[in-house]
Amino acid sequence: MTVYHLERSDELAAFERIMTQCERRVLRVALRLLNNPQDAQDAAQEVFLRLYKHMGRLDAERGYEPWVFRVTVNVCRDILRARVRLVALEETPDPAAPQPDAHHGMERAEQREMVRRALSRLGEKERTALVLRDVEGLSTREVAQILGTAEVTVRSQICSARLKLREFTGRMLRRHT
Amino acid sequence: MSCPKFEADVALYAGGDLPARRMARIEPHLGACPDCRALVEELRAGQELLSELREEPLEDAMVAQVRRRVMARVTAEEVRGAVPYWKLALAAALVLAAILSLPWRSGKPPQVAKKLAPARAAPAPASVAPPVEAVPVRHRVVHRHGRAPLHHAQAVQPSAPLLVHFVTDDPNIVIYWLVDQKPQGD
Repeated sequence: MTVYHLERSDELAAFERIMTQCERRVLRVALRLLNNPQDAQDAAQEVFLRLYKHMGRLDAERGYEPWVFRVTVNVCRDILRARVRLVALEETPDPAAPQPDAHHGMERAEQREMVRRALSRLGEKERTALVLRDVEGLSTREVAQILGTAEVTVRSQICSARLKLREFTGRMLRRHT
Repeated sequence: MSCPKFEADVALYAGGDLPARRMARIEPHLGACPDCRALVEELRAGQELLSELREEPLEDAMVAQVRRRVMARVTAEEVRGAVPYWKLALAAALVLAAILSLPWRSGKPPQVAKKLAPARAAPAPASVAPPVEAVPVRHRVVHRHGRAPLHHAQAVQPSAPLLVHFVTDDPNIVIYWLVDQKPQGD
């Protein structure tokens, strides 16, 4: 009976440690993919509950992160598909975005906000590939593993996404000026 | 205006994603085309902004709320899992064994004890056995010698015990209760 309790508490402690390590990253990716803080929180919660459920079956040697990312992307996709419509960033201000400082870095913050909006206009697959590659800084191979696709497919998606992003931001700038 | 023919390669080149064999083709072109070089710079500026999104702090309250919700669910599951089914089954088996041992107190073992033997040898499986008190019970009364029902009890000798047979909804649980009969009135 004692062994049973020890194993359970060890497992719980290990789970909490892993969650602390990757909770911010999971939330950030979910936020970028879903553009909605509430949905991002729901997605993160689901990711960690799945992690807890499958922890005993995961290969700790290989690390939990690739698995956590894959599940995050899948959960976000499920949420996106369940949505009747995509919620645009304009409608729900992103609370993760820092408030632009009145004196410093205002222009940069505006530029980031513009990129965030442009990101939300990309299609689901392109956005996912770009968030993992350019926001999270994963390699093309890692992104391909997470998405379960070929590297060449990922390259095609990020190439297209970068060009569209440039086009969107260019259009926003023209409208702004 | 960049060259449409090279646009895709330029987009990959800007992020360092272009395979080596295609680098050999794009680099000489970039050396000669200022528009494509400008595109590389523009794309890199966009990538820099994207990477800055990674550095943006998330609200602590948002993170804490997720952690709290997850831990509440996980802890609730822990509590549910803390009393494993085998313990409940063991408790049920002990109660059953205590009930089954009652007839032996009257001294002479009743005939029905032979029928009970298999039930004691093979208790209910751990995963399905509910606590005894949770099982709805029907009962019928059988005379120890299988001769007299309850309404004929007075015809039986006063000292003869009465066997009460409880039939539960779980076929694995059958309860026998031996009741001593006191002589009525005189």
